[in-house]
Amino acid sequence: MPKPLLGEQYSDLEQQDGALQFGMWVFLGSELLLFSALFALYASYRSMYPADFEQAIRHNTLVYGTANLYLLLTSSLCAALAVWAMRRGRPRLTLGLLATTIVMGLGFLVIKGAEYLVHIREGALPGRYYHWHELPSFGANRFYSLYWVMTGLHALHVTAGLCVLGWLSLRVMKGAYSVEHHAGLEMGTLYWHLVDIVWIFLWPLLYLS
Amino acid sequence: MSTPRPTPLSSYLIVYAVLIILATMSLGYSLLHLPGGLVVSLVVASVKAMAVLWIFMHLREQRISSALAMLLAVLWIALLGGIMVTDVVTRRTFPERPRPTGEDGFYQR
Repeated sequence: MPKPLLGEQYSDLEQQDGALQFGMWVFLGSELLLFSALFALYASYRSMYPADFEQAIRHNTLVYGTANLYLLLTSSLCAALAVWAMRRGRPRLTLGLLATTIVMGLGFLVIKGAEYLVHIREGALPGRYYHWHELPSFGANRFYSLYWVMTGLHALHVTAGLCVLGWLSLRVMKGAYSVEHHAGLEMGTLYWHLVDIVWIFLWPLLYLS
Repeated sequence: MSTPRPTPLSSYLIVYAVLIILATMSLGYSLLHLPGGLVVSLVVASVKAMAVLWIFMHLREQRISSALAMLLAVLWIALLGGIMVTDVVTRRTFPERPRPTGEDGFYQR
């Protein structure tokens, strides 16, 4: 079992793990701030066009969005259990759970893609490309512009999260983590949970009236 | 500093069950078109996010500094969102003009 390298600025591995974790939490906070700019924009436009927004939400693809919520919540459980399994010295189980998480993440992207196709067919596109005759209001146009930017940015994060999970799986296969030292695994899965948390807030804003 | 005990398997499963129940309740509330839907669904979403942070993301096992980073992010979000929405809601032009409707050339197809 390879021992993790200790940076010369740290006195021991525990201090190094603590510093890495703190850095990761600051990074997660900055990611939330990135999304918060869009949430603030959403709140502003919704307060300007409340009736248009509610109508647009009622016409949105609730089934797809809800299926994706359940999928992400379940994948988040699998990611958490992957760390739990590593803590109990069961790397094979960790690998299986990481693979399950990846499959669910891919499932999320497939459903998202199908949903985008529905919107493209309807003409519910962002900005000046919007031409959905059923909802011709300016507020609905604002809603779908935000919808595309917010879900698009989230989908990018899902893709990045999948890459991280894939990399973690390779590391687990190589035996890079142990019961005592698995800070990398812990931090990689934190990123996946962040993706889940963002969707927890996007779902009511974009799908629930 | 004493390290808290690692999270047991049962905690993960209980939190998952709670998350699924809360999501389904939120969905039901929305489908019934009950009053205050947005506020209710956002409160439920905040509870869900805290459950994920506390148990799935092991914030309960972390040092206080990690929780502080998250807390500061939430405070900044509240400040940014609050100030921005206050500006939009209370802004007035003289003479008063209606909200843009897209017919002023800003949005045309």
